Amino acid sequence: MTPAFAHASEAEMSRILDFYAVRWEYEPDTFPILWNTDGDVVESFSPDFYLPDLDLYLEMTTLRQKLVRKKNRKLRRLRELYPNVEIKLFYARDFRALMLKYGRLALIDGLSGTSGQVAAPYQAAAAADEAIAAGLASARSGPGSEPGTGLGLAPAAAPRRRRTGATTASTEGTAIHR
Amino acid sequence: MSRDLHADIGEILLTEEAIRAKVIELGARIAADYAGRNLTLVSVLKGSLPFMADLMRAIDIPVRIDLMEVSSYGGASTESSGLVRILKDLSASIADEDVLIVEDIIDTGLTLNYLIRYLRGKNPASLRICTLLDKPARRLVEIPVDYTGFVIPDSFVVGYGLDFGELYRNLRYVGVLKPEAYAPDATG
Repeated sequence: MTPAFAHASEAEMSRILDFYAVRWEYEPDTFPILWNTDGDVVESFSPDFYLPDLDLYLEMTTLRQKLVRKKNRKLRRLRELYPNVEIKLFYARDFRALMLKYGRLALIDGLSGTSGQVAAPYQAAAAADEAIAAGLASARSGPGSEPGTGLGLAPAAAPRRRRTGATTASTEGTAIHR
Repeated sequence: MSRDLHADIGEILLTEEAIRAKVIELGARIAADYAGRNLTLVSVLKGSLPFMADLMRAIDIPVRIDLMEVSSYGGASTESSGLVRILKDLSASIADEDVLIVEDIIDTGLTLNYLIRYLRGKNPASLRICTLLDKPARRLVEIPVDYTGFVIPDSFVVGYGLDFGELYRNLRYVGVLKPEAYAPDATG
């Protein structure tokens, strides 16, 4: 079953990964990154994708600059606390380049610079891409906020499996260790 | 009036001379490394065609060649299945052969990752990778590359086999495409 993606760029990335037969899970793990003095988790980070064959997490950021800064901070924190976790951040410019490479021209404008949801705009952009692709084929046939107070510096818990995507069975609520 | 492809290039990244010199250098290294072995070069169409043609002539040892083509994401021929397809398979067995994949460019590594898995299933004696261009900023799948011509910046490049919308492959150099050349209204 296809998960409910939070952003159209995530849905597109899932299709790209599927196309190249790269197994993925959608937001399977949640990493606590900030604790209060009582040891309660006050901030966590759930990377968008986990690619089990590559043991790699992938985070998509096609959001506004303020939110990107917040995400960068969370990512730095995650890397400090979980140095063995491999994670790659895909910025808006990375996604634009990917869409350009694959000829998904309309999606370049449709997916970046907003907190866009998977809804009509995406479908319209996808339809526009198909139209552009058809035109091409025809034309070319000739030629952040800081919640809580008091920082805990060491991980109090292992990352927690939250939700699993289309390709692997779910183990919801089970603590995992990578 | 025919379109001036050169006018769409914002910057020449690699001149014809620089490419030629690098290909000769790579060919000499490969010839030395594979001396006395059964080398098969496997080129991935269409982008690596010019590189393959030049590289094979720069390798001064006996060498076999073969060609493959795989569908690319977003391509019209692949939309129906949603899965990468082998559009042209190898024409001969590579079992027990030393295989060198010849690529024009490695960016995300997704296509190459797929190819490596596919070719490993054909039981070559060894499987290594040669690429003219490496764009590590775009890497999604980390793949060890044995022979690299040039590490290039994160720009959209065309020429010497690399295309945009099937054009620019015949440029003798590698250049950065002007953004206006890939604006939607520039494709018609």
